[in-house]
Amino acid sequence: MSGTKRVDVLGETCPVPLVETRKAIRKSSPGDIIDVVGNHPESKEEISMAVDELGLELLDIEEEGGNWTVKIKIPEDR
Amino acid sequence: MDMQKDTIYLDNGASTKTDKKVLEAMKPYMFETYAVATSDFAYTMGIEAKEALNEAREKIAKELKGGSQEIIFTSCATESNNLALKGVAEKGDGDHIVISKIEDFPVLNTAKTLEKRGFDVTYLDVDEKGFVDIEQLKDSLKDETVLVSIQHGNQEIGTLQDVEKIAKICEEEDVLYHTDATHTFGRLPIDVSKVPMDLVTVSPHTIHGPRGTAALYIREGTPIKKQMDGGFQENNMRAGVENIPGAVGFAEAVDLIDEEENERIRKMRDDLIKGITSDIPDTVLNGPEKERTPQNANITFQYVEGESITLHLDMRGIAVSTGSACFSKSLEASHVILGIGGDHERAHGSVRFTFGRFNNEEQVDKVIKDTSEVIERLREISPLSKKEE
Repeated sequence: MSGTKRVDVLGETCPVPLVETRKAIRKSSPGDIIDVVGNHPESKEEISMAVDELGLELLDIEEEGGNWTVKIKIPEDR
Repeated sequence: MDMQKDTIYLDNGASTKTDKKVLEAMKPYMFETYAVATSDFAYTMGIEAKEALNEAREKIAKELKGGSQEIIFTSCATESNNLALKGVAEKGDGDHIVISKIEDFPVLNTAKTLEKRGFDVTYLDVDEKGFVDIEQLKDSLKDETVLVSIQHGNQEIGTLQDVEKIAKICEEEDVLYHTDATHTFGRLPIDVSKVPMDLVTVSPHTIHGPRGTAALYIREGTPIKKQMDGGFQENNMRAGVENIPGAVGFAEAVDLIDEEENERIRKMRDDLIKGITSDIPDTVLNGPEKERTPQNANITFQYVEGESITLHLDMRGIAVSTGSACFSKSLEASHVILGIGGDHERAHGSVRFTFGRFNNEEQVDKVIKDTSEVIERLREISPLSKKEE
């Protein structure tokens, strides 16, 4: 059953946010949504790059007061 | 979710895929001839196990051009290095040993342990390509020196030391010489009948053999103290029930060594270095161009972190390693890159690509292309890169 997971990497810098995101992706199931919340600007870019490389779906990037949330969807056919 | 694709494995310097022929050679000593090696006065299965062990020993000795009685099986290259350094230090009549600053951790940290026990250790400098300063080596030797331990090929940047010259200097000065040949055995010839090496560490895990077994060549007559107490196995030099499947697998890996394969590996390595350094700006080849182990390429990509490179290459199905701090279990930047005069930035951006039997030219092309794309994208977001603009 698919669900939403939150990965909190606030205060962490490269490469920790990407490492934590990958852990969450590895443990996810098809259809899952992963919200990665952080504030390191380069990590936001790097996670978006990883989403592309892994063939996942980038649903949205929300930004508020220096914090960002990258919303990732694991495709149903994975 | 499984992130593994058909991995292009370029971390053969860390460990290699076991060859199926190796596994097939080992199986009978797990399921049929599973007894310990016994004396000729015992039961048949034990005698057959002992014969297999000795046959394996002979094959490894032959590859080194040494005598089979000079091969002692151990559990890993680290144990072999521990036995060589501690064994000689404890038996010798001096308290000084010499190593290089860029030795792999088994030699480096064993020397540090000996230092804590009161030994005097000289850590030789290396130049910008990783070559040991031969004059400094000569100057460092003294009456109290019991052992020089300088590796054959470097684990990270592949530098090949002039072991022939080093061995001869040690012979002339009547000092024992040990070399850690973990990264050269099977890939380059080692001839102890011509080069006066007294102790040589060899391992099958880098040549598609099994893990959990290795060996130490000990020249006959070398004064050395046993480190693993217990029974009388391995010519009373290393106690413990022998790993006969491991020894047989080790010998099979040696049997599979092929000069053509080594040339093929060397060519893939050269093509990779050429492709990456010509396609990607601001790269530095770490280590020498020619005098390096055939399987090793080590490149620093300026303005990007090695961890990021390894993570993004992994997501494209390419496995490599880096000298960057977070990647290492010690959380410290590569002592090898720092040892050759590189700064932390150079160490952090270094990536090691090491080839093996199961790589091919098609993979080299993909690795060059993917590395180029990853570096370009990472530099676009790198604050280090922006700082330079």
